[in-house]
Amino acid sequence: MRRHHTRRQFTTVLAVSWIVLVILAAITADLLPLPAYDETLTGPASEGPTLAHPLGTDALGRDVASRVAYGARVSLLVGIGAVLLGLAIGAPLGILAGYRRKLTDAVIMAVNDIALAFPALVFALAVVAFAGASLRNVLIVLGVLGVPAWTRLIRGTTMAFSRREFVLAARLLGARDRRILVREILPNVAVPAASYAFIGMAVVIVAEGSLAFLGLSVQAPTPTWGGLINEGRPMLDTAPHITLAPSVVMFLTVLSFNLVGDRLRARTDVRQSGLEPVRQAPPAAAPSVHVVRQDTLLQVEEMRTHFETERGLVRAVDGVSFTLERGKTLAIVGESGSGKSMLIRSILGLLPGSGVIRSGSVYLDGENLTSYTPQEMRQVLGPRMGTVFQDPMTALNPVRTIGAQVTEPLRVHLGLDRKQARAEAIRLLAQVGLPDPVRALKRYPHELSGGMRQRVTIAMALSCDPDVLFADEPTTALDVTIQDQVLRLIHRLRQERHLAVVLVSHDLAVVRQWADEVIVMYAGKVVERGATAEIFSRTRMPYTEALLQAVPKLGDPPHHRLRVITGRPPDLAALPPGCAFQPRCPYAQERCALEAPPLEEDCACWYPLNVRESHGR
Amino acid sequence: MIAGRLLRLVVVLLVVTFLSYALLSLLPGDTVTQILGPGASEEARAQLRSELGLDDPLLVRYGVWLGDLVTGDFGTSFVSRLPVAEELAARLPVTIELLVAAQLVALGLAVPMGITAARNAGRWIDQTLTTLSFALLSTPVFVSGVLLILVFAVKWQLLPATGWTPISLDLGWNITSVVLPALTLAFAQVAVYARLLRTDLIATLQEDYITLARARGLSPRRILWRHALRPSAITLITAIGLNLGALIGGAVIVETLFGLPGIGRLIVDSIFSRDYLTVQGGVVLISAGYVLINFAVDLVYAAVDPRIRRA
Repeated sequence: MRRHHTRRQFTTVLAVSWIVLVILAAITADLLPLPAYDETLTGPASEGPTLAHPLGTDALGRDVASRVAYGARVSLLVGIGAVLLGLAIGAPLGILAGYRRKLTDAVIMAVNDIALAFPALVFALAVVAFAGASLRNVLIVLGVLGVPAWTRLIRGTTMAFSRREFVLAARLLGARDRRILVREILPNVAVPAASYAFIGMAVVIVAEGSLAFLGLSVQAPTPTWGGLINEGRPMLDTAPHITLAPSVVMFLTVLSFNLVGDRLRARTDVRQSGLEPVRQAPPAAAPSVHVVRQDTLLQVEEMRTHFETERGLVRAVDGVSFTLERGKTLAIVGESGSGKSMLIRSILGLLPGSGVIRSGSVYLDGENLTSYTPQEMRQVLGPRMGTVFQDPMTALNPVRTIGAQVTEPLRVHLGLDRKQARAEAIRLLAQVGLPDPVRALKRYPHELSGGMRQRVTIAMALSCDPDVLFADEPTTALDVTIQDQVLRLIHRLRQERHLAVVLVSHDLAVVRQWADEVIVMYAGKVVERGATAEIFSRTRMPYTEALLQAVPKLGDPPHHRLRVITGRPPDLAALPPGCAFQPRCPYAQERCALEAPPLEEDCACWYPLNVRESHGR
Repeated sequence: MIAGRLLRLVVVLLVVTFLSYALLSLLPGDTVTQILGPGASEEARAQLRSELGLDDPLLVRYGVWLGDLVTGDFGTSFVSRLPVAEELAARLPVTIELLVAAQLVALGLAVPMGITAARNAGRWIDQTLTTLSFALLSTPVFVSGVLLILVFAVKWQLLPATGWTPISLDLGWNITSVVLPALTLAFAQVAVYARLLRTDLIATLQEDYITLARARGLSPRRILWRHALRPSAITLITAIGLNLGALIGGAVIVETLFGLPGIGRLIVDSIFSRDYLTVQGGVVLISAGYVLINFAVDLVYAAVDPRIRRA
């Protein structure tokens, strides 16, 4: 990844150097030791590159290098001029539209849309043809034609930033609009604008070239790149260099402007597809010793998932082990960012591709799933392990019908034909309590409510009759009344199908009601675990206590202050030494900041609460 | 909703035709001088002005012109003395064939490229394809056209450098004559489409419903084709419509470069012969066509994306 990074920087440096070179050539064209661009018979006509004429001569014996250098003047002048003109008109309009919004925005954007409806080049052609082909006219026409794109870009960025907290804060503090625009918004609009200025240069240079190629830009004898290419065309078979030299120079210049513009913009480029199978880290030198229990349904041993990021190694899951029996529900609790969801994805092997290292073992009925190939793993996902995610709004494919999505695993895994799959899908949807399942098959996800969609995803997760159901915050995105219905449904299905359920939640009320066992996670590690009743009645880890206290209770007096956990969740790329919770822990002592407590007797704490005297450490 | 869209369409068409008319009428380059020559007497000039209706207010002239336009009367060229509508009608099939062929070539190349790049995001093949797209994107149409002529027509002599055989005359020759122009025109579009599809697919592949499809044990191929491609195709369809503007601009160059008797070449020729009625007719036809096609794209868009269908 780092090598990739330096290569990118290298190409950017090359691009910038080329741009500088072209600009220098254009400025110093008079001073360069080249014949004048219009001086004929400086050498033999249509001669290939020689020492005296590095790019050869054209049909009239003029020096091609000189003509290309002078041609750069027109391209760059028109480019810079048109970009500045477009910016000068487009930026104020864009800022106005993006900042004022409402009617101003509607009017400006309506005009803009209409302006974009013109085929720009054809229009430029016509206007230049009638107004006269001169540098000034070409510049003005191309500049004005660039205005809609500028307006749209600046409006978009302004809009994005004028909603940000710091702008809202400035507004609340009574700052005047102009001050906000100059101080807060302009600096943020500058970067995308700079990026687009480079891309705009490329666009204008090509447009000017097109006009020149058609003979509608600056007129002869002044050379232009497009004009040079057109001139050389008849000699393409005998003297291709006359055409190739300006073509290559033009290509490199446009490419360089595009590249620099793209680099300025693409700082947030996503580069992972998520289709690749997870890389399993090679077993450590001393493989962790653990007994594979044949009688257990699900056994997870020393699961670790680390991400290589630019800020360093992020230990999202750091050595988590647990076992789960059939017919039981295991809850995994913790704040957001504690590694709960990542643990589920690690077990299922559903992590983004590059930069992820997973180690540890997952056993299902004693079989080591982490040794499975992606193909073998696909036979497990669905038929043996089902999954439900937090947000039913994003869990279903928006452009496929419910029917297509529910029947798909049935057909792929169970080999049912269309008719059988349809019948089974109707049965499944009825089982999860979807009213009128026959009609639902033809519907699209957006036509169902959140609760109904979550029922559909549960039906899909259970369609191939799995042994384990992974439910990652299955009710967090739902209304409270729907939450209860969905959890009851999962519980009922657990009983009926003798499932094991792994329930990820940050809602302790939910956990208390539905889970048999609980794992508390903090900073990727298990900090406490035990039977649900035990965890709630005899909390030992201060973090668990803080989580419990943060839950509002019915018994709280009115207007009682909500308790929150003090401090921030830890930065996984820069964990404190010792116990990760220590900076936020009210009970922390000296030792906590020095040594990380191991998970002993199901609790990782040097000074656990509620410990019987005989256990005192 | 459809009524609203139609209303908008009519408004945009009116504005587009008015601007085409007004801009080209207001510019210097006097028609009267063109017809009568610079030495004409003032009376002759005045008479012609009133004959052509040039003394009426702009809006009136536009109204008359638009009325004629709607009935298919684009006026009669002062240069060729032929009805402009006939000239345009004769040239239109060539341009349409060129544009359709170019879009097909562009999509035929871009879709596999975009999919391959997205599937292998971040790996060497993706980087190679990205670099290739960038190079294609940065090659002006006239440069790629000249290079293709140099290689395929001059060096290898596989395809004709210029000329056009109508489809009615000979299908085989028609295809040979459209290959190089279409390829030239397609090159820049390939880059646009491939990059768009790649970015969109990568974003789609990070959606929850894709992760969940994986959690259901579906194969990457199935996920790609059945789950990811369709939402991503929506953006592509819009881009195809919007890109038509750039494509038409390119068509002007390509038609000139390869000597194709299309609308673009007609406009360029008419510009040089100062045949302003023909230029105006061509610009209006292209602008209106562009607006209408984007209107059609909006409708297709709604058919592909069920979320919009009801909105």
